[in-house]
Amino acid sequence: MTQQETVVPNMQSVPLDAPVRRLQVTGVFVVAVVAIVVLAAVHLTQGTSSVGAGDLVRLVFGQGTDNAANVLVASRLPRLLAGVLVGIALGVAGAGLQSLARNPLASPDTLGVNAGAYLAVVIVAAFGVSLPALPAGGVAFVGGLAAAGLVLALSAGGSTGPTRLILAGSAVAMALAGVTTLLLLLYREETVGTFAWGAGTLVQTDLRAVTQMAPIVALGIVAAFLLAAKLDILALGDDTASVLGVNVRRIRVLTTLVTVMLSAAAVTVAGPVGFVGLVAPVLVRLLAPLVPGLLRHRVLLPLSGLAGVLVVLASDVVLRAAFGGQAGVEIPTGIMTMVVGAIVLIWLARCHRDSGPSRSPGGTSSGLRSRRTFWIVTGVLAVLLIAGTIGAMLTGDALLRTGDLANWINGRSGRAITFVLDQRFPRVVSALLCGAALAIAGTTVQAVCRNPLAEPGILGITGGAGVGAIATLILLPSASIWLLSGVAAIAAVVTFGLVYLISWRGGLSSDRLVLIGVGVSSVATAIITLLIVATDPWNLSLAMTWLSGSTYGRTLPQVLPVAIALVVLTPVVAHARRELDLLALDDDVPRILGVRLERTRLLMLLAAALLTAAAVSAIGVVGFVGLVAPHAARALVGGRHARLLPVAALLGAILVSLADSLGRTVLAPAQIPAGLLTALIGAPYFVYLLWRTRVPAR
Amino acid sequence: MRRTAIALVAAALLGLTACGTSEPAASNDASVAAAQPVSLTDARNKKLDLKAPATKVVALEWNAAENLVSLGVMPVGVADTKGYTNWVTAAKLDPSVKDVGTRGEASVDAIVALNPDLVITTTDEAANTITQLEKAAPVLVVRGADAKNAIPQMKTNLDLIGQAVGKAEQAKQLTADFDKALADGKQKISDAGKAGTGFTMADGWKQGSTISIRMYTSGSLLGAVATELGLKNGWTGAGDKDYGLAQTDLEGLTKLPDGNFLYIANKNDGGDVFGGDLAGNAIWKNLPFVKTDKVHRLPDGIWMFGGPKSTEQFIDAAVQAVTS
Repeated sequence: MTQQETVVPNMQSVPLDAPVRRLQVTGVFVVAVVAIVVLAAVHLTQGTSSVGAGDLVRLVFGQGTDNAANVLVASRLPRLLAGVLVGIALGVAGAGLQSLARNPLASPDTLGVNAGAYLAVVIVAAFGVSLPALPAGGVAFVGGLAAAGLVLALSAGGSTGPTRLILAGSAVAMALAGVTTLLLLLYREETVGTFAWGAGTLVQTDLRAVTQMAPIVALGIVAAFLLAAKLDILALGDDTASVLGVNVRRIRVLTTLVTVMLSAAAVTVAGPVGFVGLVAPVLVRLLAPLVPGLLRHRVLLPLSGLAGVLVVLASDVVLRAAFGGQAGVEIPTGIMTMVVGAIVLIWLARCHRDSGPSRSPGGTSSGLRSRRTFWIVTGVLAVLLIAGTIGAMLTGDALLRTGDLANWINGRSGRAITFVLDQRFPRVVSALLCGAALAIAGTTVQAVCRNPLAEPGILGITGGAGVGAIATLILLPSASIWLLSGVAAIAAVVTFGLVYLISWRGGLSSDRLVLIGVGVSSVATAIITLLIVATDPWNLSLAMTWLSGSTYGRTLPQVLPVAIALVVLTPVVAHARRELDLLALDDDVPRILGVRLERTRLLMLLAAALLTAAAVSAIGVVGFVGLVAPHAARALVGGRHARLLPVAALLGAILVSLADSLGRTVLAPAQIPAGLLTALIGAPYFVYLLWRTRVPAR
Repeated sequence: MRRTAIALVAAALLGLTACGTSEPAASNDASVAAAQPVSLTDARNKKLDLKAPATKVVALEWNAAENLVSLGVMPVGVADTKGYTNWVTAAKLDPSVKDVGTRGEASVDAIVALNPDLVITTTDEAANTITQLEKAAPVLVVRGADAKNAIPQMKTNLDLIGQAVGKAEQAKQLTADFDKALADGKQKISDAGKAGTGFTMADGWKQGSTISIRMYTSGSLLGAVATELGLKNGWTGAGDKDYGLAQTDLEGLTKLPDGNFLYIANKNDGGDVFGGDLAGNAIWKNLPFVKTDKVHRLPDGIWMFGGPKSTEQFIDAAVQAVTS
């Protein structure tokens, strides 16, 4: 939760204020509904055909043409209704999930629903499977439910605590997104067009999907309403709720099922319009200090739904007003919801007074391990790293033997082998170094933000670097490696600086930093997609490959920036290991102990930004490492950064290197980008760790 | 501790199984056939000097592969052979042709293993990939497509490839055949009194309840060819600068005047959007060309971005559709 009930100045315990509050709440609802009606009216006048406001008005007075009537019924209304349905479903689902997880970063995406649904659709497109029994919408629905089911199974129905649920969900979502991108890359021709759908588009062919899903959404909203009172009690904490006679586990499972149902329905209609479920409830929660009583779930849930509709419709209207009706087809609405939602989120987050409970990074529960454990773990990992490196040099499309390697090292190998190893060596090195760099950056960010979901990607650093790189590639297709890396690094640091400055208000709150980071990184993702769609929509290969994190075609000069960053910045981070230990606790302890909090924080985040930027400019966006490696390391050697940093770095290097080797070998001659396999390998392992360190369910 | 032991044993096993070498240590192979040297300038304005016309060629894009086959030089490797078989029926690949990976990221290992004397790719390829490939073999870069210049670009690409493999004569012949097919097609259409009739060329996909429609502008290869045939493109919007394609939705089709609606679908690709999914739709049913039954599905496997052979297939299909 971004806000605790205590922020609201004790209004809730004073019954006399009830009428006033009710009036204010009603006022908020009225404003929202009026705004939606106005937007909807504008929305209907926009489109790719020549039918305009005048035609529609004449239609109302019975003087319209057949064409206008057809366009209205078969194109405009379906799009409007799809927007309303998606907005309300995602808004309610997001609100439910955020309450469930007590985390402002929870959303339908983190449960893997969107990823699962999208993957199901792409599989059908790629393999040409036709399922006569299920319409295309049904496929998405099944995929979303299956993914959510997997996440629920992993987190024991969410009953083992919110953090665990979110982490398992993120892991599964990332793995599924990896498979999806992989299929898109391998079946380029067959799946062209799913790309736009993958960002969420409101383009509808008929009312079928909307009419099919409307009852499901209605059912979900009613169910959420029935759960509202229990969710209010749950917000007081699991123990309190149990004492008050609420069956915590059952409420969690039910809430999860309802939110999954709602999100799957939304994905079925329009593809994964992801950001709505994250932004809508946060908007309402950020309004809460102004209007007391908004945090009651029977108010919060429907209002989040309305906020969701507002976000979706406003995005669509703005998109088509600014770029014309044609843009409504070319540019997925999901991209616009991301931009609009993110801007609103950033603006509101800036005004957000930090009062959230401090969050310990997940996995710290494992406490301190003995020194012996640490040395054993480090030793095993070092051996694995060496074996992995040799293995990486030998595997690929052409499998080699150690003798070849020896010949190559001594400069006595034949032409073909020399060439193969010459081009393989930089790939292996870049994977190792980037893995280590991302892991160190991730560890640092998690400690500083005290947020188990924080990773360099979430602070907008990876997104910024990506925008820089893609823009460079589009403007100068023949840009040199140094130019590309340089622009990416500058863009990354600038983005991070922007996030930091926006979130600085008389001190830095880690909550605000993460919220604004999420906003900025979404804007970055949207810009990247926009750039691709606008310049070269039919040749996604290059861009997707680059954004999936690939060592393909790397050369040694490209690895230099990462090597330099590691050599320079690792000592800086290592030097601050004790401060990191303290920062991971809370804000007060370091202050009392005389740590210069802001300075250390800024320095650490800057180091993380530079490390990430170097890695991104070398191999593109590999998101999973910064999230997984620190958690895994914590589970192995406990939470002290003196031990955590080296183990995380080793794990990161092994993970990316292994992913890269597999990517070069498994489907050879087809090459799988390392970033995708990182997610595929990292996720199951991460899930296993979560399973191992689980606390028995109450 | 047990884990350490397992790791060590695994490492040892790895060492044992992977001992020895895959090839004898270095030897210089110097076997240059006595043939005419070739010199040409490719799409990068880079001069390419070959000691002899290339015989072992790897093509990383399908239109290059198609051109090679129609010139009578079977490539030794092609990116995504399976997809090629689905989408390009104009020039069949031998079963012996090796798959060298995806069209986006071809496997350098696979290409080198074939020991080619020429690799053909397009300007869509990343610069450092081209640089890397050049260490292994000469690389000929052609421009994938040019919306300002679609038909000449197709001929230029054929011409460059023809020079590189020493088949300049065959390339001239293919170009002449293509021009003849185009002129014949135009004649047939005007004989049937259909000159100047409207057409639109499209393809489409369905995901979820969304149908994406891709329109071929006059800058696209097929759009340009149909215009040359004496037909008038009903889609006047702009497309992208290379392939000349535009996107629209169902509502956007209401802008189209009456004329022949041509489209390509592929049975391996989610089936037939215009013939199936849209059949009951109010907007679709009321479009002028649907009412007058002028919607034509062209045969599967006509590659929309191919060389002269694919495009001749399109000419035949389009003439057939318009004059029927």
